[in-house]
Amino acid sequence: MIKPINIPIAALVVTLLTCSLDVVSGAAAQTQLQNLPSPAPSNSSLSRVVANESGEIYLSWVTQNAGQATLAYSRLSSEGWNTPKEISQGDNWFINWADFPALSVDSRGMVAHWLQISAQGTYDYDIRARFYSRDSQAWTTPKTVHTDGINAEHGFVSMLPLKDGTTLITWLDGRETKHGDPLGAMTLRAGIFDKYGSIVNEWELDHRVCDCCQTSSAMTEKGPIVAYRDRTAQEVRDIFITLLIDGVWTSPRPIHNDNWQIAGCPVNGPSVAAKNEKVAVAWFSAKDDTPKVQLVMSKDNGLSFSEPIVVESPNTNGRVGTAILDSGSIVVSWIDTTEAARIMLSRYDTNGEFLEYTEVARSSASRRSGFPIIEAVGNSVFITWTDISSVPQIKVARIDY
Amino acid sequence: MTKLKPKKSAVSHLLLVLIFAGMTGFLQPLSAADNDSWRIVNYWSEWCAPCRVEIPMFNRLRLRLAKSNVIIVGVNFDEDPRDLTLEIANHMGIEFQTLSQQDLDLLGLKPPNVLPTTYVLSPANEVMAKLIGMQTEQDIIDALTHQGLTLLNQ
Repeated sequence: MIKPINIPIAALVVTLLTCSLDVVSGAAAQTQLQNLPSPAPSNSSLSRVVANESGEIYLSWVTQNAGQATLAYSRLSSEGWNTPKEISQGDNWFINWADFPALSVDSRGMVAHWLQISAQGTYDYDIRARFYSRDSQAWTTPKTVHTDGINAEHGFVSMLPLKDGTTLITWLDGRETKHGDPLGAMTLRAGIFDKYGSIVNEWELDHRVCDCCQTSSAMTEKGPIVAYRDRTAQEVRDIFITLLIDGVWTSPRPIHNDNWQIAGCPVNGPSVAAKNEKVAVAWFSAKDDTPKVQLVMSKDNGLSFSEPIVVESPNTNGRVGTAILDSGSIVVSWIDTTEAARIMLSRYDTNGEFLEYTEVARSSASRRSGFPIIEAVGNSVFITWTDISSVPQIKVARIDY
Repeated sequence: MTKLKPKKSAVSHLLLVLIFAGMTGFLQPLSAADNDSWRIVNYWSEWCAPCRVEIPMFNRLRLRLAKSNVIIVGVNFDEDPRDLTLEIANHMGIEFQTLSQQDLDLLGLKPPNVLPTTYVLSPANEVMAKLIGMQTEQDIIDALTHQGLTLLNQ
């Protein structure tokens, strides 16, 4: 389980290694934004930043060269980024700006996934994963996360380390889309995997979900919470959550009735964060063709939520992230599309009062710029994104609140 | 043969039909100077299941509109390199023109928030309709009709 954390010395020392430091004027306080050096080579993209329970920061990314894709990671130490280490490599991966590899870390090990084409000439791909044990200091051979054996779309993975050393993996599973008349819908599935990658338990969480939006998971005091975009028979695609409490998943329910009805793919999943009993979910919608990023908060482990706060509308294309600081304030990342795209952070206090905006970087509304990913450590937020102004390059920044 | 016929109220559209009815092989490369055609602009992606479902419909509709002043063009939402985009389009069985980024810049379209999304553009490149999500052939015809363009079967 993710526990309250303090900023480790390593994260503090990295300040000495920063490329630049800006003081950003906020409405409530002075915020410091530091651009960190990136350990990823050029031609890299699809980066994620993730912290373990000790507050150590890891960065993962994919480098593409001559048809070969490589998933690698680096850990931020007191000397800066460690030498990047390769997790996997392949020439038959499904590389996508919205559905890309993830890394999960805790003190016992790591889990990393990527998507591998399962049948040439099709749109079918499998979720492949390797599990790293700090005891053996070795990665397992690649495992296929799902057990259906069906060539179909599988992806949009989220991973969550559990306190017993297992990992909860949630994904969209297209096994039902290959049979039936009419064809079945995309499903949401989850499984718990041990450190060897063996499946301990598996569930279908929802039998009909949006085909192409990210899933997101976080750990509450009650248990894991999973957020995703639902899909009703009437093509309403609102954000739902379900919690695993005492080994039983709660019935999926909406966090808010946007009633966004579309027979299409928003490619814009929700982001959930949790700390102690607090839960925050940010998401994108565009009902009546009006783009909107919203935020709801819970103070009872996701059993109930506040009314939505509009983070931005209409000048956004979403791509949200959510993080909760030690102070209890909530940070939402989103893309501003007023003019040139900007990566923004909005911070709210525990009662949902707006505190400040931070412009992280000028970006691009292009899909190739991908989804910025944020992670909270103490009262800081680490963020990574891809700069596509020339050769794709991973960027990392730290914002101290 | 099919052609587009305007509603009586759409005088400008009447002119268009008078100019273009009966023309053949009208599909041309997009250019800044090409301001005589209505365009149906379909945003697709290879990983978007409803996009893939729509493609055969647009292929059929392209043939149906071949002698009209309405052209169907596609846009790869993922902004892949041109060579890869054309390879994907071929693999997906897309039989209508796929726009380059340069073409797209000329049209001044903003990428949609949902896939698939289909725009109906006037000859002046104004967005006259934005159709979000998967469409049927009738949906597209209805959108054209709403603009005063009526498809007649002969």
